[in-house]
Amino acid sequence: MWGRVVEIMTAVWLAASPFIFFAHSNTSLMWADLSIALLICVLSGLSYWHPTRHAHLLILLVSLGLIVWGRFAVTPPTPMHQNHIVVGLFLLMIALIPNDASQPPKAWQTPPTT
Amino acid sequence: MPSSNLSDDDRLNRSVPPYQHNPSAWSQRIPICLLAFVAAAISAHLSLFQWGFIESAWDPVFGDSSNKVLKSKTAESMFNLLGIHDASLGVLAYLGDAVLGLAGSTRRWQYRPWLVVLFGIDVIPLGIISVILVLCQAFVVGQWCFLCLVTAAISLILVYWAWDEVRVSLAYLRIVWKEHHDRRLLWDAFWGIRSEPLDRAAEQLLSREVA
Repeated sequence: MWGRVVEIMTAVWLAASPFIFFAHSNTSLMWADLSIALLICVLSGLSYWHPTRHAHLLILLVSLGLIVWGRFAVTPPTPMHQNHIVVGLFLLMIALIPNDASQPPKAWQTPPTT
Repeated sequence: MPSSNLSDDDRLNRSVPPYQHNPSAWSQRIPICLLAFVAAAISAHLSLFQWGFIESAWDPVFGDSSNKVLKSKTAESMFNLLGIHDASLGVLAYLGDAVLGLAGSTRRWQYRPWLVVLFGIDVIPLGIISVILVLCQAFVVGQWCFLCLVTAAISLILVYWAWDEVRVSLAYLRIVWKEHHDRRLLWDAFWGIRSEPLDRAAEQLLSREVA
């Protein structure tokens, strides 16, 4: 589940970003970042529960939203929005990683009959 | 020996012809990931300069030339297009190589071909882009950046190291297609959805003679 751990760590970075980039005076931007970070944590967390094990794939949509927002909100993007692009691109890769990535998929864990 | 008689470890680590090794083995993938992390660290240093956090990029060979490349009009126009500096995009691309290199079991060439193909899509175009950026340094900017050349060389090494696994995965998918001409089965093979014909296709690849 290391993919999910990295997603949660990235969400923590996103939540801290308004304070790192001194953008916390912009409350709407700060709350947007905190909400997105919480959403990423929830989707990653849900992936630990078997019935919602594919929830991490929804982070792909969140990532695309972050990239588009970061790229087009202000031109040229401010450091805060560049951070959104970078976090979005990074999550785009991580969200694809399967849950038990280092193990063979369950269906392949028994020897073939041939 | 039929694969049903092998232990789990032996089954996962079988050599895949035409190679005498398993291209998905950790011993093959870990060096790729480590080198990709090194390239990501170098790109991060170059990004720090482009962001203005450090005054100069380290260059023991070309001196101030690196700074001129990183602040050139070509780099600036890439920033205007991408919204982030080209070096930070390099960090993400190399991290992508490392992340996609680490994911998957030691038989992912068969169990998760989509992951291997995605890994190839990340590694191989990155090598081509690195060569294009080196050509840009030579013919557009007219200056050289030592660390950029190092990362370009690393990209080409990564392409060379990653190619065997991508080749084996594509060979497996080719066998599936040649034997069945069934798009649905090919789709299943790509996404790693198990069925008996796919077990046979993998066995056919594994039983080929090593050149």
